[in-house]
Amino acid sequence: MILLIGGILLSLLSGPVDTDLSDLWDFFINADKPLSAIILNIRLPRLILAFLVGACLSLSGAMLQGYFRNPMAGPFVVGVSSGASFGAVLALFSGFTLRIWGLSAQNIFAFASGFLLVSVVYLLSQKKGGVFRVETLLLTGIAAGALASSLTSFMIFFKADAFEQAIFWLLGSFALSDWAQIWAVLPYLLVSFIGAQWLAKDMNLLSLGDETAHSLGCPVRRIRKVFLILATLLASSAVSVSGIIGFVGLIIPHWVRLLIGPDHRYLFPFSALLGGIFCIYSDMLARTLLSPTEIPIGIITAAVGAPFFIYLLHKKS
Amino acid sequence: MMKKFLSILVLSISMTSGTLSQTLSVRDDSGHNLTVRGTPNRIISLAPNITEILFALGLEDHIVGVTRYCDFPEGAGRIEKIGGLVDPSLEKIQALRPDLVIGFRGNPIRTLERIRSLDLPLFVLEMGNSLESVFRIIRTVGEVTARREEACRLAGDMEQKYQKIRTAVRSSTEKPKVFFLLSAMGLWTGGRGSFLHDLIEKAGGLNIAAEIRRKWLHYNREHLIHENPEIILIICRSKKEYSRAKEWLEKDPSFQNILAVRKGNVWFIDEDLATRPGPRLILAFTRVAEIIHPEVFAGDDEKKP
Repeated sequence: MILLIGGILLSLLSGPVDTDLSDLWDFFINADKPLSAIILNIRLPRLILAFLVGACLSLSGAMLQGYFRNPMAGPFVVGVSSGASFGAVLALFSGFTLRIWGLSAQNIFAFASGFLLVSVVYLLSQKKGGVFRVETLLLTGIAAGALASSLTSFMIFFKADAFEQAIFWLLGSFALSDWAQIWAVLPYLLVSFIGAQWLAKDMNLLSLGDETAHSLGCPVRRIRKVFLILATLLASSAVSVSGIIGFVGLIIPHWVRLLIGPDHRYLFPFSALLGGIFCIYSDMLARTLLSPTEIPIGIITAAVGAPFFIYLLHKKS
Repeated sequence: MMKKFLSILVLSISMTSGTLSQTLSVRDDSGHNLTVRGTPNRIISLAPNITEILFALGLEDHIVGVTRYCDFPEGAGRIEKIGGLVDPSLEKIQALRPDLVIGFRGNPIRTLERIRSLDLPLFVLEMGNSLESVFRIIRTVGEVTARREEACRLAGDMEQKYQKIRTAVRSSTEKPKVFFLLSAMGLWTGGRGSFLHDLIEKAGGLNIAAEIRRKWLHYNREHLIHENPEIILIICRSKKEYSRAKEWLEKDPSFQNILAVRKGNVWFIDEDLATRPGPRLILAFTRVAEIIHPEVFAGDDEKKP
């Protein structure tokens, strides 16, 4: 909890422009000062969006790790990231400037294509009358993801002068956070969170194996579908507003497991919370390390996440 | 009653005198209208060429923010940096309280939209891909900063020099084949959409990559040998890079038979002059024309480096 409040304060205060506590106080009393405008219009939305995206990704990761019974699973393993990248780069290169409900074309395209790709992957991995195998989903996801990636790379190659803009999306950034995006992500997070909590016990059962879970009264197929949908919604919405931010969905659930164990009834909420906090801090680093240049946040999360992941692997074996 | 009438009278007089003074509406290249009321005092430039144009219009003291790539003229180094071309810092921009932000299509659309959503006055320019579009850009910047006279003078000057050279090279019947190279790493060149293509063609040369519609592309080695250009221009930032690139070309056995390499017709063009659509582009143009048609300049006394 302290971490969260500390994170909020620090994040509000740090950035390329010098501000201090008195400015923050000014902001609360009298929102007219120019620095208050920065806190209100730029830092606050960033802070909130970073929290939401972190929560979405971690929750999605926790769900998918349970779904695949595989610790390596993360929100991007079913192809969401590749699909969403394709949509975002497509929007970027076709130069659409339409805005619906304050969301840019890029956001909308990314969300739609991310979700679409996973739906296609899911449908493709259904066997007629046969047993639905989770491994098939994984492999199909990888294959479809690879295809989407190659198409995305081709677009970037073809229009090389927009390459730099594409990079910022592909590595993730909260630089352009605004309130519209917050409203775009929030409903998905809330719905998924409530859904996840409600079905957390079933996820616990699933970890015992499909047959065992079934024999214990868990409607395996339905639960699997719901979780997949929720996890994909979370990942798509997160990625659509901030680009690809890796490792958060992968690492945070493991971290939480180390702290409080694998019971999904606690894993889900704490993953979301910790994920949000992690993103707040990462975003803070991203905009202060090389101020006024911003480092895409995906770099920070990978730089922190990867060594930590290796450490975790060592610890387990 | 009298007081009320008087105040209305005074009000209406001041309102009409307001409309008589300089307020005009200029449309930018993203379709938005900007109302100009006199010269802005806190301008932020989101591209190096825009900075150069602003300086050339005498607006040095009116600029409060530039990108980290804005390195010309000297004075630009002292102005606060707000980030790069694709990653300008929104915080910095807002904190500087600009009354005009000039951006271009190379800045990310989303960033430009966000700047607009913060209620900052933004003017977006389309850079175009020819020398003639630069004249237009200069005049437009002049309109938006209420420096129309200076802008017309600057653009007019450039145009004069430009037309002079064009007429001169037109008298030449040859159109030598030219290839331009952007860096020593591979064969990066530009097709029909690039500035350099326009410079070469208008200077009376033939860009061998002309049929390709792309702005920048990786040229095929075999094509280069087959096309056999007479002149090669190396576009880079320093003489050192130029020598390195020249060496690479001369040492490579497959390039030995290219006319330009054999005759030593491999020239240096300063990248900053040739790729920024601003006041210095005319210098690059002059240089390119000199290289392609030296006979036209034979009468000039000055020896350019």
